[in-house]
Amino acid sequence: MSNFIIRKVAILGAGVMGAQIAAHCANADVASILFDLPAKDGDPNGIAKRALDSLRKLEPSPLATTDRVQYIEPANYEQHIGRLSECDLIIEAIAEKMEWKLDLYRKVAPYIRPDAIFATNTSGLSINSLAEGCPASLRPRFCGVHFFNPPRYMSLVELIPCHGTQAKLLDELEEFLTTTLGKSVVRAPDNPNFLANRVGVFSILAVMHHTERMGLRFDEVDAITGTLIGRPKSATYRTADVVGLDTMAHAIKTMTDNLPHDPWAQHFSAPAWLHALVAKGALGQKTGAGLYRKEGKQIKVLDPHTLEYRDNGAVAPDELVEILKNKDVAKRFALLRASDHPHAQFLWAIFRDVFHYVAYQLVHIARNARDLDLAMRWGFGWQQGPFEIWQAAGWKTIAAAIQDDIVAGRSMSSAPLPPWVFDVDGVHTDQGSFDARNGTMQARSVLPVYQRQIFPEPVLGEKIDAGHTIWENEEVRMWSPNDDDGKHVPVLSFKSKMCAVGPVVLDGIIEAVKRAEHEYKGLVIWQPAAPFSVGANLKQIRPVLEAGDFAGLEAIVAKFQQMSQTLKYAQVPVIAAVNGMALGGGCEIVMHATRAVCALESYIGLVEVGVGLIPAGGGCKEFALRSAQAAARTATNDPMNWLQNIFQTIAMANVSKSARQAREMGLLREQDIVIMNPAELLYVARKTALGLAASSYRPALPPAGIAVAGRGGIATLEMMLVNMREGGMISAHDYRVSKAVATALCGGEVESGAVVSEQWLLDVERALFVDLLRTEETKARLIHMLEVGKPLRN
Amino acid sequence: MSRQIQDAYIVAATRTPVAKRKGGFRNVRPDDLLAHVLRAVTAKVPGLELGEIADVIVGCAMPEAEQGMNVARIGALLAGFPDTVPGITINRFCSSGLNAVADAAARIQLGEADVMIGAGTESMSVMPQMMGNKVAMNPAVFSQAENVGIAFGMGLTAERVAQKYGVSRQDQDAFAMESHRRACAAIAAGLFRDEISPYLVREHLPDLQSNAVRVVERWIEQDEGPRADSSLEGLAKLKPVFAAQGSVTAGNSSQMSDGAGAVLLMSEAAIKRYGVTPIARYCGFSVAGVPPEVMGIGPVEAIPKLLRQTGVSQSDIGWIELNEAFAAQALAVMRTLGLDAAKVNPQGGAIALGHPLGATGAIRVATLMSAMQHDPGLRYGMVSMCIGTGMGAAGLFERV
Repeated sequence: MSNFIIRKVAILGAGVMGAQIAAHCANADVASILFDLPAKDGDPNGIAKRALDSLRKLEPSPLATTDRVQYIEPANYEQHIGRLSECDLIIEAIAEKMEWKLDLYRKVAPYIRPDAIFATNTSGLSINSLAEGCPASLRPRFCGVHFFNPPRYMSLVELIPCHGTQAKLLDELEEFLTTTLGKSVVRAPDNPNFLANRVGVFSILAVMHHTERMGLRFDEVDAITGTLIGRPKSATYRTADVVGLDTMAHAIKTMTDNLPHDPWAQHFSAPAWLHALVAKGALGQKTGAGLYRKEGKQIKVLDPHTLEYRDNGAVAPDELVEILKNKDVAKRFALLRASDHPHAQFLWAIFRDVFHYVAYQLVHIARNARDLDLAMRWGFGWQQGPFEIWQAAGWKTIAAAIQDDIVAGRSMSSAPLPPWVFDVDGVHTDQGSFDARNGTMQARSVLPVYQRQIFPEPVLGEKIDAGHTIWENEEVRMWSPNDDDGKHVPVLSFKSKMCAVGPVVLDGIIEAVKRAEHEYKGLVIWQPAAPFSVGANLKQIRPVLEAGDFAGLEAIVAKFQQMSQTLKYAQVPVIAAVNGMALGGGCEIVMHATRAVCALESYIGLVEVGVGLIPAGGGCKEFALRSAQAAARTATNDPMNWLQNIFQTIAMANVSKSARQAREMGLLREQDIVIMNPAELLYVARKTALGLAASSYRPALPPAGIAVAGRGGIATLEMMLVNMREGGMISAHDYRVSKAVATALCGGEVESGAVVSEQWLLDVERALFVDLLRTEETKARLIHMLEVGKPLRN
Repeated sequence: MSRQIQDAYIVAATRTPVAKRKGGFRNVRPDDLLAHVLRAVTAKVPGLELGEIADVIVGCAMPEAEQGMNVARIGALLAGFPDTVPGITINRFCSSGLNAVADAAARIQLGEADVMIGAGTESMSVMPQMMGNKVAMNPAVFSQAENVGIAFGMGLTAERVAQKYGVSRQDQDAFAMESHRRACAAIAAGLFRDEISPYLVREHLPDLQSNAVRVVERWIEQDEGPRADSSLEGLAKLKPVFAAQGSVTAGNSSQMSDGAGAVLLMSEAAIKRYGVTPIARYCGFSVAGVPPEVMGIGPVEAIPKLLRQTGVSQSDIGWIELNEAFAAQALAVMRTLGLDAAKVNPQGGAIALGHPLGATGAIRVATLMSAMQHDPGLRYGMVSMCIGTGMGAAGLFERV
């Protein structure tokens, strides 16, 4: 086996997608050169440079930290085309015009190294037609890699070979896309709009068709086609606004132009209102108006007949909500079909037509039903793909119902369901998922890269080995997957809602570490699904607080601290494997673990001040200690150089917007590991534990003495607070809470430079925490958070 | 008024252009700026025996790091003054430069010296924080409510002044706009040319292409702060920085800057000996305290005190350099004392021209001296400013 290494990527085209793909490469420590045409005026790199500028401003940010933009070099074809030879992978992402692309291919081909990969990010043009425009020598190294917008956040990448793409190259590229860039790859045959957009755009067309047929308003449809049916909150039409109506129109046109013989072809046309909006430049979110328009604080919705905006505010009808609340999917669908309510009939119609379409087209557009379902999850944010929903609702029943509707002329097309539909009981089985070309069940890919995914995202009906339990209590489970590494490094997972940490979880962690110390080489704290942990379990604290049992509360905090110290001084490495939120107490677990292994999309922060408290599970202690240690290595030996930033981070309850930013903020340590693919988290965490164990791991010994910033430091931080309070930016209670943060970070009201112990620091933060609990304002904040779910400003 | 032994005269004054923080002087050290103006001001008196300079008094508001180590003495040595010429750094924040001139004059008045230099230097590029390299507050400030004003940022004190004296956002923005307009007009008319000693910046930069150190030279000849494109609409868009419901913005506050100024003073005996024509007679100086939380109002105490000391009436003063720390405090001072807006900062103020803290006093004396040289009708001129932690200072000069 030889290593496949991509040192540098060239991106051709500094448009929205090109620049953002470059940004995501930068997030993954992959250097890139971003090419565009030479600017007519000024700096010849002007176009690429402007694209880099706008990367810094976009929200949510395509960059894990804004300074990552430095890893993207702006360039232009005129001056720098020769530099293509530096690149191992070239991704073309220019406008969707066949002639332009072919022109460019001719221009760049001579400069592409014979061992480099050339890929196009086209969203719909035929890969084979594009391949024909490439010199013959380049074709074996040509394919499609279709990223979804925004590429940092959308997991899906479709990998589309042309006739003659080398099989090995595709496997290697899949490995790079999966591990290095952290994407979820689905291989798609070369069809118009490929896989996800083919189904996704059809689904939107079906929604549009039934919206018009039933005379529903856009906001009415959005109220019932979002989270209620397991799709994104932005539902259908608002999603179109976010994606861009021009992009939407283009995707529809690809279907119109290239699928004249599709049995649904008559429906492949953009509605008149879409043409009208695109013509007048109302392209959705990016232009401020589309199907919705923000007017002051109000959001208005388009009336497709008059093209005027009017009040919006439709809510899902109670009757429909009742039906959809049903946990039994079969019953849910039976009720939908039986209901006279127009919205229920609407929902059945849009599900039916998508089921019908994917069943008919499966043979052409996907290798198997799993690919299709996963593509819809990863590319369109559906909780389940269409086949999964169908299967959950009862395969045969739904098949019969679709058949009835086809016969009765209610479906969008009269094309018959393919015969295989009636031969199977479902498309997902233990043996694999249905492959319509061969009529067999196809197992998952055995590429080596997938051995790094110990628990790949399962589709409905797929059996997963849940491992064996070693020990558990009501809120945690210590267990092991049934594999080799599992024998040495067990996993600890929380069962609590959002993985909140209460006394039972604390007991569980302490016990698990004890067991790991006795019997294993290490321990990984990992949750099967994000978040890692939202922090202290306020619900469990509430009754103790309301009873005024402050001794009881102090005991809980003391146990939290005991847990943190147990992690820190565990005799075997304990790895926190983080994906999603790690807040408050969750962050303190991360801080005290031997190492953190974090997926890029880790949102880490000490947010206690939001509920009128301070980090007291060792969070403040740890920063007092770390700043003292860092300062001791400098000439001035001043811990304030570190404390000022971390004080602001804690006092403003800042949460990192990526794992890399968490490191920048000081919440992660240099030695903590950031990986791109959350599905590989457990694999990397266990290997990290094993690697540390192999290096004859010993925990750091407790420091003998810690020189703290003391009273002088507190006063310096307090100066900031005085100005914010007097400027009306923070309340008196904010001031009090933040001063407690300052006091804990500075080691209490002692002289600057006074030497204290770790336990002293823990005692200081614990006492301050309990003091705050005694205040009415903090109590009000806690209760508000529990009841409303948002911080109270008081 | 105390009895004077003799008068002190300003015989020369000059300054560097004032650069924006991290602007033209981003790679120039404040001690080099100081050495430059020391050389330039002494060069204005041909034949001056440098060894006769009794002392170099230099104001600096943050005398540490690059401008620490008694920057006055270092500047004098770097300027090539003989080893026998001593130097002392003094600090009263924003009035440091004016204080240096006043202290230099006082030494002459007392008969202790015949030739003195009062100067100021400050680089806010190298001193990033308004409180120096290491912020270290005394806990006592927070343990007693009456001391808490010490901790107030300058912007917050300006908000307090705006509130207390009812200075609206619109008035502040209009004042800022006028400061830019006057400064731009003065630059266009070349009115600063005589007082400025252009500075040749030499920067050692890595040339990554040729792998060599490239020395780049460029002249800084003009103040960088004034904006010809300043507009009321643009100013109105800026967000208040120091208070949630505030009115003080980056646009109606003074700019952070780098610069230096120096003033050469002589006794009557020295003037005769060198045969120089003095520009002005130093009349007096006053300083007074006000509550720290409304520090910007300081001149309201200092100016009347100075007028009482010198027996000069406000209406006799034809030119007032009133440092614009903030439009809010400048307007409050002008309204409270009834200062004539036409006579205050006729060539713009710190909002446009910049405010290199401890250097500003010496720089604005140089501007006033230049105005006195240009306008024979001008008799009395004043330089005044507010000072952090609640003080005001004012100095008076009479054209001779």
